Amino acid sequence: MASLSTMRPLGCLRSLWKAPDMIQSQITRRCLSTVYSQRPKRVPLPQGVPEQFLSQLPTRMRPENTPKPIKVFNPPPSARKACKDPVAKVTESQLETLDPKGERKALFDYRRNPRSVRPGDIVRVTFKNGDPFNGVVLSIKLRGIDTSFLLRNELTRVAVEMSVKVFNPNIQSVEIVQRAQRKIRRARLYYMRSRKHDRRSVENIANAYVRQKKAFMGAGSRK
Amino acid sequence: MAPRLSGKLAQLSQSLGLWEIPLTIPQISIRNFGIRSLNPPKPSRFNNHPGLPVLESTSTAALRRKAFSLPLRTGAIGIKKGMTAIFDTETGKRIPCTVLQLDRVEVVSHKTREKHGYYAVQVGAGWKHPRNMPNSLLGHFSAQGLSPKRHVFEFRVKDESGLLPVGESIPASWFQEGQYVDARSNTKGKGFAGVMKRHGFHGQDRSHGVSLTHRSMGSAGPSQGGGSRVYPGKKMAGNMGNTQNTVQNLKILKVDAESGIVVVSGEYMTAFLTSQSSNCHLLIVDPPTGAVSGPKGCVVRIQDAIKKPWPEVASTPAATATATAA
Repeated sequence: MASLSTMRPLGCLRSLWKAPDMIQSQITRRCLSTVYSQRPKRVPLPQGVPEQFLSQLPTRMRPENTPKPIKVFNPPPSARKACKDPVAKVTESQLETLDPKGERKALFDYRRNPRSVRPGDIVRVTFKNGDPFNGVVLSIKLRGIDTSFLLRNELTRVAVEMSVKVFNPNIQSVEIVQRAQRKIRRARLYYMRSRKHDRRSVENIANAYVRQKKAFMGAGSRK
Repeated sequence: MAPRLSGKLAQLSQSLGLWEIPLTIPQISIRNFGIRSLNPPKPSRFNNHPGLPVLESTSTAALRRKAFSLPLRTGAIGIKKGMTAIFDTETGKRIPCTVLQLDRVEVVSHKTREKHGYYAVQVGAGWKHPRNMPNSLLGHFSAQGLSPKRHVFEFRVKDESGLLPVGESIPASWFQEGQYVDARSNTKGKGFAGVMKRHGFHGQDRSHGVSLTHRSMGSAGPSQGGGSRVYPGKKMAGNMGNTQNTVQNLKILKVDAESGIVVVSGEYMTAFLTSQSSNCHLLIVDPPTGAVSGPKGCVVRIQDAIKKPWPEVASTPAATATATAA
């Protein structure tokens, strides 16, 4: 036993003395296994096999059970192709009822229409239900059916802002009371919220406009 | 003293009426002189006496329970196209809404009680190139004479009267304006989100000695008294969103069968109840339903709302088409 245990470290020498042949043979074997070979082709059934022998074949190999190609059916007409942008279609159908002549759209389309309302104008909005509201236009948001404008005024010495949806059927009229005094270079006049640039109340201007308008209308009716 | 039979064997001999017959092992007669028996007759281990309640854990019982909350007719698969608003011309109220498009929605197959254990209609929508489809699925559609479908979903129905014939198409006019539907879709995916965003935790202090852990959770669980472990289901950071969500009781505002458009309301639904006795109006605001979940282009399954009365409609889309034409 003792002799064996002392011999054990020498066991590694055995591999030296065996090695060359073994390693060589293993390498060659591995190479052979990885050689690319094509998938064996399916051997077709010989023609004219007598019927009594067919029963010996597995069912899937019998001539009547050969796989048939799957018939693919054509799809029905597509709603997706017929209407590519359904959201726009819904919006259009809404605008047809809410704004049939396109007046409201033109009144706030400040990018294209030079006679439209612009930021900086003083505007008077009358509603079907509720008090009219006057104010300076701070911004106009063009968002399709959700197009809106922001008005700022001062009521009872408290600054008030009101966002109004242009196509809301509750709005009776929008009148331009006064155009902006000088050219305004911005589309969003949020600087008017700061104390330095605040326009304060525009109620007086609006009231004067209403009085003037009444006088004209009254004169017209008297005739 | 003669050896006694063990309890069960002794009972067996009693129940078989073998009392008198001498067995190989002699029996001891049980005489009761006000002394409790050492082996009293045991009740049966099996719950088989008469007058037992009917079992409620069967599939039949489950179907019976579900009968009240299963829709009578199938739903449809729509694609969320985006949001817009509709103005009510009478009140001038703005109603935000979601636009869904139904594209080539057809019934693909049925699930029946006899074969699958429940009634459902398998519905497919859209179109997928047959090249991109495994043969097994392609065969499933072709066997019914249908084109390959991109989206396939099941809609459970109450009974076989709700099984629309296979191959029948479901147009947008399947739904009526004014009826209520439930819409289920996957929410927007938010990716790997922290606990503050995912579960609304408060996070930790900005200061007071806290360093580098202002948005993380605190302790994950109790110490030795609580088992020194993290309990299952502990709320932690992880993937948020992109999970199915059902929004109930959404109103159908508009239907356009030609372009397959269904406009679904996306706002707080309000309902008025008038009680005649007290002559007052009670305003009931349903839970904040919100809009249809998911990003634009996501798949939405809509079916009649289970918490509203079923809509009164003809059973087949062909019948509804003729009804609308007439």
